[in-house]
Amino acid sequence: MSVKKKILKAALRKEAKRIKKAARRRHCGIGCRVLRLFGKLIALLATVYAALFAVFFFDLDGKLLYYVVEPLLVRHYDRMERKNPLEMPYEMKSE
Amino acid sequence: MGFSIEASVKNVKTGVKKVREIHLSGLGEKLKAAAALFPDPRDVKLPKNKEEAKKFAHDFWCGKPHGERRLGELYCDKTGLYKHREWRGVKDTFYYFHMIWLYNYANMVMDIVKFGSPVTFVKGLWRYRWMGQTYLPVLHWFDRGLEGLRGEALRASAWHYRAMTCVTINQFMNMFEADGKLRNGAHNDAWHHAMAHKETVWGGIFYPWMDRFKHIPLEMVPYFVTCHVNNHTVLNYIDAVQSIGLPGDPCPMCQAEAGLFVLDDVPDYAPFLITSNEACDGSVASTAIQDWFWDRPLFAMPQPMQFDDPLVQEHCANEIRDCWKFIEEQTGVPFNWELLKENLEKQNELMRFEWEKWDVAAKTANYPINGVAQALYRIYQSQYGEHFIWHEVDKKVSKIMTKCVEKKIDTFPKTRHRVIAWSCSPLYYSNWCTWAYNCWGLNTVINMDSLMFDMEVRTDTLDNCVMDMARYHEWAPMRRMAVGGMHHIFELWDYMERFHCDMVMMYDQLQCKGMQGVVGLFEDEFRKRNIHAIWMPHALPDKRTVSRAEIRRIINDYMTTVMKEEPLDPSLLEFDDDMSW
Repeated sequence: MSVKKKILKAALRKEAKRIKKAARRRHCGIGCRVLRLFGKLIALLATVYAALFAVFFFDLDGKLLYYVVEPLLVRHYDRMERKNPLEMPYEMKSE
Repeated sequence: MGFSIEASVKNVKTGVKKVREIHLSGLGEKLKAAAALFPDPRDVKLPKNKEEAKKFAHDFWCGKPHGERRLGELYCDKTGLYKHREWRGVKDTFYYFHMIWLYNYANMVMDIVKFGSPVTFVKGLWRYRWMGQTYLPVLHWFDRGLEGLRGEALRASAWHYRAMTCVTINQFMNMFEADGKLRNGAHNDAWHHAMAHKETVWGGIFYPWMDRFKHIPLEMVPYFVTCHVNNHTVLNYIDAVQSIGLPGDPCPMCQAEAGLFVLDDVPDYAPFLITSNEACDGSVASTAIQDWFWDRPLFAMPQPMQFDDPLVQEHCANEIRDCWKFIEEQTGVPFNWELLKENLEKQNELMRFEWEKWDVAAKTANYPINGVAQALYRIYQSQYGEHFIWHEVDKKVSKIMTKCVEKKIDTFPKTRHRVIAWSCSPLYYSNWCTWAYNCWGLNTVINMDSLMFDMEVRTDTLDNCVMDMARYHEWAPMRRMAVGGMHHIFELWDYMERFHCDMVMMYDQLQCKGMQGVVGLFEDEFRKRNIHAIWMPHALPDKRTVSRAEIRRIINDYMTTVMKEEPLDPSLLEFDDDMSW
């Protein structure tokens, strides 16, 4: 079978799937929709959980702080204008 | 849309060209360096036979046994970051993930909201170096202290870290909420209701005003905590004070505390200040600088060096009374005996639980707290004074400890030597004891910092109470058993016996003139008593004088040449963590 035919067949299959899915959604009741929403929520939470675990396990928080956040903060602190306390006379007392 | 070999070859050639370009532009090196921050998949050894598969599954489920862990291979070179965090078995890894990593990140946010406003927090973070550089890597501080721990030891030690984090957040949020520098010099109500004191003045002195005022140690967070969490920060302050002419040899703690003022990095959060001379005359000098740069009413409440004389104690009690008068004058609020009594009784509760802990540590192998958690928690709690989180954490730890004792859980099963750590520890490497246990089986059961405030304060009459408070005040950190006279320094021998220790880790603070004076006496005693002691030189907060690698080398040398022992984890013998937090 030529490559062109293969691609055409795959596209037709995809389109048929989409039509079937749309038809199923039209016949779906509230319960079914809630279940689907719940499923999506679970999937989303699972993704977030997996992402957090990856951050934890590969110490991505440490790497981000060490290589990105800390150098930026240090640059900021180094450039900050500071009062020179030595200009304050030693004898001075507020009272 | 056809497939042709020519096109594929062309694509491959273009790819190779691009990779070469990346390599020549230096990006290749960067990618290589980035790849070194992650585990190499080629290092994963898949099982080849049934036996290996069984072992692989066991290690996955329970974690590798001590001796096979090779924790040193988890580190990225120089930075001490992890290629990946340790796999401690399913149960402990997920406990760490949920109850330590996620729980503490979440609570770091919750605590900020609980103790102030997030806007003030961001302003403080942006204004103060010690804040920004220290707050963020807190979880890495947990990691370093809790490396290799399993089961109940992991749980109990982590709760100690949680309490310290909570009190730290409370302190800096109180500072920022009252800080005039974050409000263009304006002084709000919180400023008028804050009391500043040196970190070595015990928080208990301020209990009579606890209902309306907040006492906030001046250097406990900006200096002490930062050294443990991120030791890069403190170097700025040491260099700052030396840049205005101070020689490099005085105590680096006093240098750093003065340097905070030289760099104008101290919040303007209270109308007056209570100071002390703790630990030595170096501290008196830093107080002179604080008095000059902070410029506000100050009451000096020095702790006597030789405090065993009853007349000296009477004098110290009178100074506490004078301090209370000074606070009354400054705040316009009278001394409240009932409030003092109530808070002291709460603090006595903490002491009683600490005694229970010491008892378990001394008499059993079921003590679930590791050396660094024990030392830092106790010194923080006993010096800062009453706080609700200590009680919450003690309840949790009590449950864990009871379980360990009832079920006779050997919490540190690879213990070869029970170690007592004496004198003042290196703040930039307080987690050395975690390393020493993982590498050599040296279990630091107890330390000097924990044992200093070994007393309850009587609350029956005001006179008794003040006398006991004077004693507590005199037994300040680095005073009682460091520069407080030979009798107290040599309490080591009694505690060694009481805690059944067979080895001493003798801290040698190279810039402490007081402790340097007794090195020879200790050496004589160690020989006479036939005690194995390792001298650990350090410069308190300054890692540049004696590096962490050097400290490890000294311990390694002693363990191999004198003790003739083999390491439990050879991967931990030598590694470079010079640039680590």
